Amino acid sequence: MDKYNNFFGDFGGRYVPEVLRAPLIELENAYKDAVEDPDFLAELAEFQHTFIGRPTPLLHAVNASTELGGADIYIKLEGLANTGAHKINNAAGQALLAKRMGKKRIIAETGAGQHGVATASACAKLGLECVIYMGTEDIRRQRPNVYWMELFGAEVRGVESGSRTLKDAVNEAFRDWTASYRDTHYLLGSALGPSPFPDMVREFQSVIGNEVSEQFAASEAEQIDAMVACVGGGSNAIGFFSPYIEAGAPRLIGVEAGGRGEGRGNNAVRMDDTGRPGIVQGYKSCFLLDEDGQVLPTHSISAGLDYPGIGPQLAELGRSGRLEFQSATDDEALEALKFFARTEGIIFAMESAHAGAAAIGLAKELGKGRNIVVNMSGRGDKDIFISAAALDGANWKDFLQEEAGRIR
Amino acid sequence: MMKDTAEKMKLVTHFIAGYPSLEASFDTAKGLIDGGAYALEMQMPFSDPSADGPVIESACRKALEAGFRVGEGFKLIERIKAYADVPLYVMSYSALVFNMVVQGFADRALAAGAAGLIIPDLTPGTDEGLYEAGRRAGIDVVPVVVPGVSDERLSEIMAEKPDWVYLALRSGITGSYTELDAENLGFLDRLKKYDAKIMAGFGICTPEQIETLKPHCDAAIAGSFIVNRLSEASTEKGGSGIMHAAKDAVEYLLGE
Ligand SMILES: Cc1ncc(COP(=O)(O)O)c(C=O)c1O
Repeated sequence: MDKYNNFFGDFGGRYVPEVLRAPLIELENAYKDAVEDPDFLAELAEFQHTFIGRPTPLLHAVNASTELGGADIYIKLEGLANTGAHKINNAAGQALLAKRMGKKRIIAETGAGQHGVATASACAKLGLECVIYMGTEDIRRQRPNVYWMELFGAEVRGVESGSRTLKDAVNEAFRDWTASYRDTHYLLGSALGPSPFPDMVREFQSVIGNEVSEQFAASEAEQIDAMVACVGGGSNAIGFFSPYIEAGAPRLIGVEAGGRGEGRGNNAVRMDDTGRPGIVQGYKSCFLLDEDGQVLPTHSISAGLDYPGIGPQLAELGRSGRLEFQSATDDEALEALKFFARTEGIIFAMESAHAGAAAIGLAKELGKGRNIVVNMSGRGDKDIFISAAALDGANWKDFLQEEAGRIR
Repeated sequence: MMKDTAEKMKLVTHFIAGYPSLEASFDTAKGLIDGGAYALEMQMPFSDPSADGPVIESACRKALEAGFRVGEGFKLIERIKAYADVPLYVMSYSALVFNMVVQGFADRALAAGAAGLIIPDLTPGTDEGLYEAGRRAGIDVVPVVVPGVSDERLSEIMAEKPDWVYLALRSGITGSYTELDAENLGFLDRLKKYDAKIMAGFGICTPEQIETLKPHCDAAIAGSFIVNRLSEASTEKGGSGIMHAAKDAVEYLLGE
């Protein structure tokens, strides 16, 4: 696959006001130059090894597979990357690139807070000033991450506009960037937005899929039959799938947020017949839009999947049929969280638990002798306030009240 | 301040369809016209206006919460044109234009009586056929440029042969005050070598700024300043104050 495509079929492109045209061309050129430069790639590899902790393990989930009685499940433990999710792969790549471009300041949006934490951490490490935009609804949902970002020295700016979630944080970051691009890099956190972001984010996340190829080749298993990843904007999925996209196999399955179920505003399923082609936030893709083209509200238990658009390359792969899409509801994600914790001793991030839920179903469907690799894009520590409230509400409430009383 | 009314600067006044309500936005348009606006720039509210600052963003959100529909926006244009024959430019985002199919949006705007379209995130080269659609429909598509755009890019843009070009006087979003300095005024003078007439805006909120702009361009644009005046009026006096607030805002800017 080319490192720079701009368009993926009809999707992608760069639909931005004139003021952002030059900064995006500057970024495109810097990116194209860096990814062909052995010095930059060596610097990135070193950072991945010593700071992120790569390679992350590929776990054969023997207990889970046995209990399900179907296909063998392998789990790529991206949650073991420093800062707890795959987001650091992209944050590190772009932060190193920004430094190379001579930028002094980094801005980023965040939903679940994982991208914000990853960005703030990379900025602390690389000595860059850092501002994170986060919807106030997400600040409430993912408070622990706000605390970590601030500890890393980042300024977290609450976004009150729109639905006060991820898409509004993206808008706010663009607003900042239109005035600040001279010394500031906008470190976008998913494989979406105007080009070159979808291409660049995929390249920096492709380390996930490349490691899976190597690790699986070294395992006793023969071939991967299916790969499963959750899809918010699509960065973990596209990076995980990337070495396999051009080959016809294995099956690639993206899992969207089924939320509370069907109906407008209840989920973030874009790749069913619910999403429509549109141009939003600088790129053409599939979006949840009303009849006038206004962006619709979304819901998911996971802040990271609670977004009305999808990366353009994934949208095109869905259209062409190379990628299959499924969805998992809030409840199914919670069940998967419990299942893998009990059987494998690992805690999926709420986002990743959507992929876990689909993998459980698929293991039964495919049956014995087949192999599934699921990407655990992040670990679930950040979700403690959501999972504890959902799974053990009364005790958790008592605990919080006691704790609150103890703080003077 | 200006004394000779014959020499008065042309003022393009921005307002938001459906804000604070559909009826009140009609009153606003009437007030702007009565106050002496040369032309109107009507924003079709979009849910995610990422080039706009907090004043316009929140006004658009309120319009949408009140149930604004794009079809009503076009009907509003018809009513305004029946009230007075001032040029009216429709400003919006690519999402709404693309949703109606670009040609469909251009045709509908023309049929309603609009003189032009201002769609900042559809720029020459990545315009989804907007400029061609405008030519076919016979409606002016107004490019938005910023100081600092290279000469090469400027000629690319001007090759579309627009009647008007919109200069955003600084980078960044709508809203805050803009200092008029050698950079943006110098850029305005660079634009003069092209045939297009120039409207300039972003952060215009005093008659002094307009006076300063006068030798450099054909019209000034006022946006957030007017929306601010309206939101004060709508909270203080209720709907009936809106028309006067709009008229007063224009008269103030024109130095009356
Ligand atoms: C752990 C985790 N997984 C997945 C996502 C969704 O993003 P993407 O689809 O870009 O991987 C997020 C976003 O915040 C996340 O934190």
